[in-house]
Amino acid sequence: MGFIRILKFAFQDIFRNFSLSFMTVLILILMLLSINTLIVVRIITQKSIDTVKDQIDVSVYFNAKAVEEEISEIRSYISSFPEVTSETFLTKEQVLENFKKLYADNEEIMLSLTELGENPLGPTLIVKTRDPRDYKKIISALDVPEYRGIIEAKTFDDTEIAIEKITNVTNQLEKFTYFLTALFAIISFVIIFNTIRVAIYTQRIEIGIKKLVGATNWYVKGPYIIEALVFSMLSIVLSFLIILFAVSFLDNYLNVIFSAQDLLTKYYYSNIMELVSFQFLVVFLLTALSSSFAMSKYLRK
Amino acid sequence: MINLKNIHKQYSRDSFGLKDINLQIKAGEFVSLVGQSGTGKTTLVKLIIAEERPDNGKIEIGGWDITNISNKEIPFLRRQIGVIFQDFKLLAKKTVEENISFALEVAGDNRKRIEKVVPRVMDIVGLSHKKFSYPHELSGGEQQRVAIARSLVHAPKILVADEPTGNLDTINTEEIIEILKKINDFGTTVLLVTHNRDIVNRLKKRVITIHDGKIISDEESGKYRL
Repeated sequence: MGFIRILKFAFQDIFRNFSLSFMTVLILILMLLSINTLIVVRIITQKSIDTVKDQIDVSVYFNAKAVEEEISEIRSYISSFPEVTSETFLTKEQVLENFKKLYADNEEIMLSLTELGENPLGPTLIVKTRDPRDYKKIISALDVPEYRGIIEAKTFDDTEIAIEKITNVTNQLEKFTYFLTALFAIISFVIIFNTIRVAIYTQRIEIGIKKLVGATNWYVKGPYIIEALVFSMLSIVLSFLIILFAVSFLDNYLNVIFSAQDLLTKYYYSNIMELVSFQFLVVFLLTALSSSFAMSKYLRK
Repeated sequence: MINLKNIHKQYSRDSFGLKDINLQIKAGEFVSLVGQSGTGKTTLVKLIIAEERPDNGKIEIGGWDITNISNKEIPFLRRQIGVIFQDFKLLAKKTVEENISFALEVAGDNRKRIEKVVPRVMDIVGLSHKKFSYPHELSGGEQQRVAIARSLVHAPKILVADEPTGNLDTINTEEIIEILKKINDFGTTVLLVTHNRDIVNRLKKRVITIHDGKIISDEESGKYRL
């Protein structure tokens, strides 16, 4: 019976203090939107970083006279590195064809190629690693005397500085988003705590009266805990409705920029349970604990 | 019913609340506690309802030693003492009926008892027709009558009234005092804290005078002497 009465008091308070309830839910929604904006920024940043990283690869140009066994040995050696995500092998013919396509408009080059009479280009291996920093390791592994006669050139020397710069920028961006996340988390905590504290402060006289007429702390606290639960649920539902609408709208633009389709929508729908339950838990715990803490000094009397 | 022995209460180095108070109020008495502002009357009320603890001495209410009452026991004490205040202390967002039934609901009384008791106390204070009104829709006198009705729901043995007429006009003051007298006639011990000379003189009941934190007079059928 006690719990039902507490529920009744909680819903009476929510509706009879409507403006206060409305403001509390609004603040919670704004905080959730801020946090989710940051999640969206992180997804977009991560996608941009991945896209940039994906543009980087290292080409290993084999000597035109290299035999197949030697090339296969190097290919399987490179594949054995856990850092390598893909390796694409282009035969001599494919390389020549690509070359011809690239210089189709350059008559001099095309003429020289015809004069040579044979394919002067060797096969090429295009290697991609998980992280741009890993290229150096792969290249060093290939830079051994027994491979010198087989490998003619590697593009890494030309792109090393660019890779380092990109790595630095992406690392800084990642650090920045972590810093922003921490900052937003602290700001959210402070704002929620203060919103609840002000809400409880406005109710301090009521709390005192309830205690005076013989209410136990549970009867005073209970409705506020239920209110925290209702406010958290309401703010989560409303903010996720807004967020899902916003990400589907944003995806129209992101689809043009990135090759991935519906990047944000896919992320939100595939992680909806984790996102909703985690954010709900955090908001509820924050509001409930802030209520309890803010109330404690009024409950002592 | 109320027994205070050698009570001391000091708020700060220079501010004494009460000094060596010895007081005994018997069951069924109507006692007026008078004194100027800041002399310790409200401190005494706060000690009786355990809103404050004494620095020294012993307080007994109905044989219950509440000197070192635990926080968990306070709600049970407050359900046995009816208290009314100058500022009424009503819950602004609850109707008259809800304000009164709240005191029973938090005590765990069942719906049947609440439906029986609440109309009866509203009838005693003459507010049955205002049960759906909110405090801000009532006059000061009506608000105080709601507070009295609320204080009566547990049929308390003691009713403490701290300046109950302080915010009321003469007519409403008369009405409230009449209700308190009626409650006392039913056998409830009434402790009326006031500095209204006319009320005290007309009551012709026991008067305890406090000055500077000390009891300076205690007369069986006294008058306001300050």
